[in-house]
Amino acid sequence: MPFHLYFLRRLLFVIPTLFGITFFAFLIANAVPADPINANLPQSALNDPEIIAAFRQKWGLDKPPHEQYLTYLGNLLQGDLGTSIKTRKPVADDIGRFLPATFELATFGIIFGILMGVGFGTISAVWRNSLADYLVRGFALIGVSFPVFLLALIGLQVLYAQLGLVAGPGRLGVRVSEPPVVTGWMTIDSILAGQWTTLGDALSHLILPSLILGSYVSGMIARVTRSSLLEVLGMDYIRTARSKGLSERVVIRRHGLSNALIPVVTVIGLSYGNLLSGAVLTESIFAWPGIGRYMFRASTSQDFPAIMGVSILIAAIYIGVNFFVDILYYFLDPRIRLA
Amino acid sequence: MRRFGLWILVALLVVGALLSGITSLAQDEKVLVIGHAESTDSLDPARGYTQTSGFIFRAIYETLVTFPDADASSIEPMLAESWEVSDDGLTYTFKLREGAEFASGNPVTADDVVFSFNRLKNLQGSPAFLADNIASVEATDPQTVVVTLASPDPSFLSTLPNPAFQVTDSQVIKENGGTDAVDAATADTAEEFLNNNSVGSGPYQLEKWEPQVETVLVRNPNYQGDAPYFDRVIITNIPESATQKIALEAGDIDLALDLTADEIGGLEGNPDIQIVRGPANIIHFLLMNADPDVGGPMADPKVQLAVRYALDYDGYAALWGGVQPGSNLAVGIAGALGPDEAIKRDVEKAKQLLAEAGYPDGFEVTLDYPDFSFQGVNMNTNAQKIQADLAEVGITVTLNPGELQVALEEYRSGKEGFGYWFWGPDKLDPVDFLSFLPGGKVATERALWTPERAEQSLLDLIEQAKVETDQAARLDLYRQLQQYAQQTSTFAPFNQPDIQTALRADIQGYVWHPQWLLDVALLSRSE
Repeated sequence: MPFHLYFLRRLLFVIPTLFGITFFAFLIANAVPADPINANLPQSALNDPEIIAAFRQKWGLDKPPHEQYLTYLGNLLQGDLGTSIKTRKPVADDIGRFLPATFELATFGIIFGILMGVGFGTISAVWRNSLADYLVRGFALIGVSFPVFLLALIGLQVLYAQLGLVAGPGRLGVRVSEPPVVTGWMTIDSILAGQWTTLGDALSHLILPSLILGSYVSGMIARVTRSSLLEVLGMDYIRTARSKGLSERVVIRRHGLSNALIPVVTVIGLSYGNLLSGAVLTESIFAWPGIGRYMFRASTSQDFPAIMGVSILIAAIYIGVNFFVDILYYFLDPRIRLA
Repeated sequence: MRRFGLWILVALLVVGALLSGITSLAQDEKVLVIGHAESTDSLDPARGYTQTSGFIFRAIYETLVTFPDADASSIEPMLAESWEVSDDGLTYTFKLREGAEFASGNPVTADDVVFSFNRLKNLQGSPAFLADNIASVEATDPQTVVVTLASPDPSFLSTLPNPAFQVTDSQVIKENGGTDAVDAATADTAEEFLNNNSVGSGPYQLEKWEPQVETVLVRNPNYQGDAPYFDRVIITNIPESATQKIALEAGDIDLALDLTADEIGGLEGNPDIQIVRGPANIIHFLLMNADPDVGGPMADPKVQLAVRYALDYDGYAALWGGVQPGSNLAVGIAGALGPDEAIKRDVEKAKQLLAEAGYPDGFEVTLDYPDFSFQGVNMNTNAQKIQADLAEVGITVTLNPGELQVALEEYRSGKEGFGYWFWGPDKLDPVDFLSFLPGGKVATERALWTPERAEQSLLDLIEQAKVETDQAARLDLYRQLQQYAQQTSTFAPFNQPDIQTALRADIQGYVWHPQWLLDVALLSRSE
């Protein structure tokens, strides 16, 4: 199948999925037996029908649900996600402010996750049933099952409070001057502004949370890498490669890993999507002003426009990452090209 | 790939550590860093109504009158140097202090007060209800403001220290889209400006508010009072209390405002940390239902008094710190009876009262309470102590801890015969005590101590206290009411626990305040 056809076909799948998601997000938001009035008006105003009516009218809560949905969809098509009840700012602006922080953290997290996961998975497969294999598998199990908040707190207590190796909560130290906002990434913005001290501080703040996110996703990546690599290493062509007299290093890298990576890429894509949709706990513990915390606050105050906006964003991120993974398959798996 | 990853990690750790070392070299500026779980919804005084905005407002704005630094025991001048109340209790005339200036350099005038109060009312934001009873505000000359109320409210003065009534720079707000007109709810567009600038006359001004990240205050160059110690105050948002604790130990923050009792306990003995304790304004009390069908023996006033004599008040204070309040009015509020005037434990007297009531051998009763901890006070522990105290006078108590929401429902609908609850004041004024007297919310709806069940002399006294506008006479009436309640009441208040705050050992001047939480202008660092 030529690339452009494959690309278009994948893209066509995306559109109905996105619509479906807006519909379900709306349905769920409306099905919750909670009234945003209670969460957003002061106690004293709850006895005043006039204030309540004004609030309902202002946020369109007085209209029938299908009408609310159609209005929402119409605005959405024009790129308008509505206004947050809590922050009284356009949801799109809020997302624009909080998303880069999550994006930066998730990217550093997934890099650590890939390095650790693929590395450990390979070790484990190559030296199967050795001590190293058991250690790595034990680590992977811990990575997947150990509560993130506990790992984060222990990390903070030891590496930050006791040893002073890394910086503490937040994206920057309170006394460090912020670079002018261009991308919203502290690291890139400080490089652009030539603020090297700020860059160092930003990196120092990034290391711990991204290591923790990385170790969280690396467990899954390591397990998939291991099993996929083991399967590939048992294939006939590997035996052929070895019998050709190729070094073990080349056999594993060129013939083994590159073929074993297809399921790994899928897992990496899903993990990245997972990290991008905001790791609420990690963001809370590290006081990271990201989309996960924004979503959490929106949910607890029944801020429907914000909940809808973030739900759609997260769905779009997942769909986007999956789309990208599908495109990667095209290049990684010759079978797709030939089908 | 494995080795490569490891090297990147090591390199990042080293670079990070080196550079964080460089950046933490402090400048000459005196900086205070406060760690807090930010709840600010707006820094527009007519819109914001949260805990965080409260102490930020305290630093950047001033009100007409205020409370003392540590409690709400009296009304003190701030922007108003004096005030008079008309005999009918409807008209309050405030004389403004000469020379007060806003951060812009504009003088604080009566017109600014009129603008601020009208804007609060007409904007219909979260705190607007506080101004519901204001019929009109007028400036009769540049230094005189006359506030007319719709109905007499002797607690009006103690409402004024609320940040909602801060006096704002009308000129600057108008230049930035603000209005105090009747249509302010739709016409006013100054919120964005006020979220990033302050227009007050307090010791600090707002440098920036970056939502969910930090709020930065710097000195107000035009402040007329004593200059505060810190040049810059940074309130950094740390939503998790466990992280606040770690940041406090690491010395990155000077004050952690949201630690739990367990976390504070874990800091005990750390030489870099001090723990400041003082009575908060939460009162723990027993409720004894006045309806014999619900309360059984507990409905008898003699039994109720016996319970008040039976409790080991010093024991509760030993458990949680704090004081024994003289009544259900929190110590620290004007007119509240303190521990010296509180009822003392007297087991013999309690037994004698029970015998007089017809229970010489005591009786059995069930204590309902929520299985809950509030501000570090474990209600289960207190309930067990209540059980032990009452056993000494012959009352056999069965404990019945309930899920909070369920127990709350029973309590609020007046179905509890004998209950254990706590209360935080709605208003920092003696008027709050009326909730615990017939006609008031807790007494009437929850203890079923209705006006029909009350003595006429008590009802007369309540009516008098409600309308008296002379502060001295008013406080005297509330003292009489509290003394009455010590002898006859369906409640047994037994403890007002301490509130605890952890801060770096070199920070001085910290006091917790029931209205504004803390006043950063009072803080300094020992050198």
